[in-house]
Amino acid sequence: MTQIGTETVQDTMNGSGDDKPMIIAQDVEKWYDNNFHVLRGVSMTVTKGEVLVVMGPSGSGKSTFIRTFNALESYQKGKIFVDGILLSHDVKNIETIRQEVGMVFQQFNLFPHLSVLQNVMLAPIWVRRWPKARAEEVALQLLERVGILEQAKKFPGQLSGGQQQRVAIARALAMQPKIMLFDEPTSALDPEMVREVLDVMRSLADSGMTMVVVTHEVGFAREVADRVVLMADGLLVEEATPEVFFNSPTEERTKKFLSQIL
Amino acid sequence: MTTTFPPSSSAPPASNSGGLMAWLRKNLFNNWLNGILTVAISAMLVWVGMSFLEWAFTVAQWSVIPANWQLYFVGRYPNDQYWRLWAIFGLVAILSGLSWGILARNTAQLFTKTALICLGLLGVFGVIMPAPLTSRLLFLGAVILLAAAAWGGRQLGHSVAGIGRWISFAWIASFFVVMWLLAGGFGLESVSTGNWGGLLLTLFISVVSILLCFPMGVLLALGRQSSLPVVRLLSVLYIEIIRGVPLIAILFIGQNMIPLFLPQGMRPDNVYRAILGLTLFSAAYLAENVRGGLQAIPRGQMEAAHALGLNPALTTMLIILPQALKISIPAIVGQFISLFQDTTLLSIVSILELLGISRSILANPSFIGRYWEVYLFIGVIYWLFCYLMSIGSRRIEASLNTEH
Ligand SMILES: Nc1ncnc2c1ncn2[C@@H]1O[C@H](COP(=O)(O)OP(=O)(O)O)[C@@H](O)[C@H]1O
Ligand SMILES: [Mg+2]
Repeated sequence: MTQIGTETVQDTMNGSGDDKPMIIAQDVEKWYDNNFHVLRGVSMTVTKGEVLVVMGPSGSGKSTFIRTFNALESYQKGKIFVDGILLSHDVKNIETIRQEVGMVFQQFNLFPHLSVLQNVMLAPIWVRRWPKARAEEVALQLLERVGILEQAKKFPGQLSGGQQQRVAIARALAMQPKIMLFDEPTSALDPEMVREVLDVMRSLADSGMTMVVVTHEVGFAREVADRVVLMADGLLVEEATPEVFFNSPTEERTKKFLSQIL
Repeated sequence: MTTTFPPSSSAPPASNSGGLMAWLRKNLFNNWLNGILTVAISAMLVWVGMSFLEWAFTVAQWSVIPANWQLYFVGRYPNDQYWRLWAIFGLVAILSGLSWGILARNTAQLFTKTALICLGLLGVFGVIMPAPLTSRLLFLGAVILLAAAAWGGRQLGHSVAGIGRWISFAWIASFFVVMWLLAGGFGLESVSTGNWGGLLLTLFISVVSILLCFPMGVLLALGRQSSLPVVRLLSVLYIEIIRGVPLIAILFIGQNMIPLFLPQGMRPDNVYRAILGLTLFSAAYLAENVRGGLQAIPRGQMEAAHALGLNPALTTMLIILPQALKISIPAIVGQFISLFQDTTLLSIVSILELLGISRSILANPSFIGRYWEVYLFIGVIYWLFCYLMSIGSRRIEASLNTEH
């Protein structure tokens, strides 16, 4: 493993254009408290505007991996740079990095005591310190974009799963992040609601957002992804364009996984 | 006191048809054992009820209540300063009414059947209260103020944005006004706490202790969950030590030991020492109630807040605590009710709150042996306030419910 200094990475990151790397993971290793070796040396780069789909069997470490990108999980070895900033173990301004990285969870995790509109306005007001009027204007725009405008005054508990997940996307987008992480955003949804969420994600990808998506939705991966990676047992097994990944994968592990889900 | 069992889940939902006889048969006489129990228990209830009524109307000498009504309600508060207490009463009635109206601004009806019954009961109480006519009229006036303020609060709630914040400010400000009116100073004749007594003192001690122990309990609960080991250890130590000591011991320490440590001029008077003891005691229990709420919040809430860039303090203030407190409302109000009842222990350390003043009345030779009348009377008063608190708790819970 070659140690790359912060400066070198900084230089590459300053490169503009579509190939500017937004996330760099270098030989990331992580152990859970019970000494379970969950990430066993994962390296990966996501460039600006790219949509990366992460697939893999349950328990392979996908969630853990993408949660290291906004420091919801720590890691013990290797390096992760997000938008040029090293996520070290003692990073001071963890909140500053989290502002640049939006995350959408499998269980939506909306704040049930706040209305839909308040959910979306909360972080811009308290973290970005926007005036209320501006936060509300942006929030309403986003709610319109995800098709929930009429429900703005309702509470999350009064919405369907698909609607809640779209609110969660709007909530993350309200911070105007540079990167969006999705951890199985449609896995907790009834089948008839999967589509409305995927449509929102597709249009987000079309708008040029850098996205890392953990999902089992093969259709979405085929159409939207720039690259698909397979994660198994804490390692990245295969990395390819969707074309190659689904039609002619090289690794046995990938073939086995695809035979199980297709 | 029913003798029924829950219907088995396979049974169809009970229908309303069939009338009284069907209901009786289904609920009270559904087999011969239940039939016998029903008859036996009814007979006992009737007997107890008759005996009570007989006692209440023939044996009991209720004159002990009206003869001492001032002592019961305000203790030895000077007669010519009563207007200050009425002013407090009116102020609290107005603020309560406004808050009620504002909380209920989005409900279909302000004066629901329950609300009307409560107001009616207050009115009836005002009419039959064992007190001079002026007091009764003033009391009725306050009830009318309450209802009018509720109506006004509802209108304000619809027309003024952010009214909730104003009413909170008003409550905080009113606390200082109430203290001023009660204790005097700043142009008013001062009345020392030694002259406060009866229900007035019970309510004063309860309200101040509740206001103080609530924030303290919340901080202890957060401390117990803190990531800083020292804070966590201190919180756990405090909570576990206090919960291991009976309240009466804490009150005795407050009354008898604190004066030994402090110089003459600095000793807080015994009412404030009692408040200190009740506060320190209840805060530990409250902390455990709030901790229960904190633990019930799913991890995902904290993660979502962190992912948005909220720092730990904001996450606690805006996301975790509001939800945890909402869950804990019944337990917290339960703790407040206990605290209210625990004020009776203060009569043992010679504070003349409602129970203490009753004991001193019973010690008066002219009222010797009137235990039943006196204790029944104050028992009803205690029950009334506890019941009001539990109604209030259910009201607040309902108004905070966001899942329909
Ligand atoms: N907090 C934790 N402590 C210990 N083990 C964990 C913890 N979280 C997850 N794991 C384990 O780590 C493995 C990977 O989990 P996860 O990243 O959620 O996988 P995936 O998202 O691919 O299903 C699983 O075997 C899981 O049991
Ligand atoms: Mg997962």
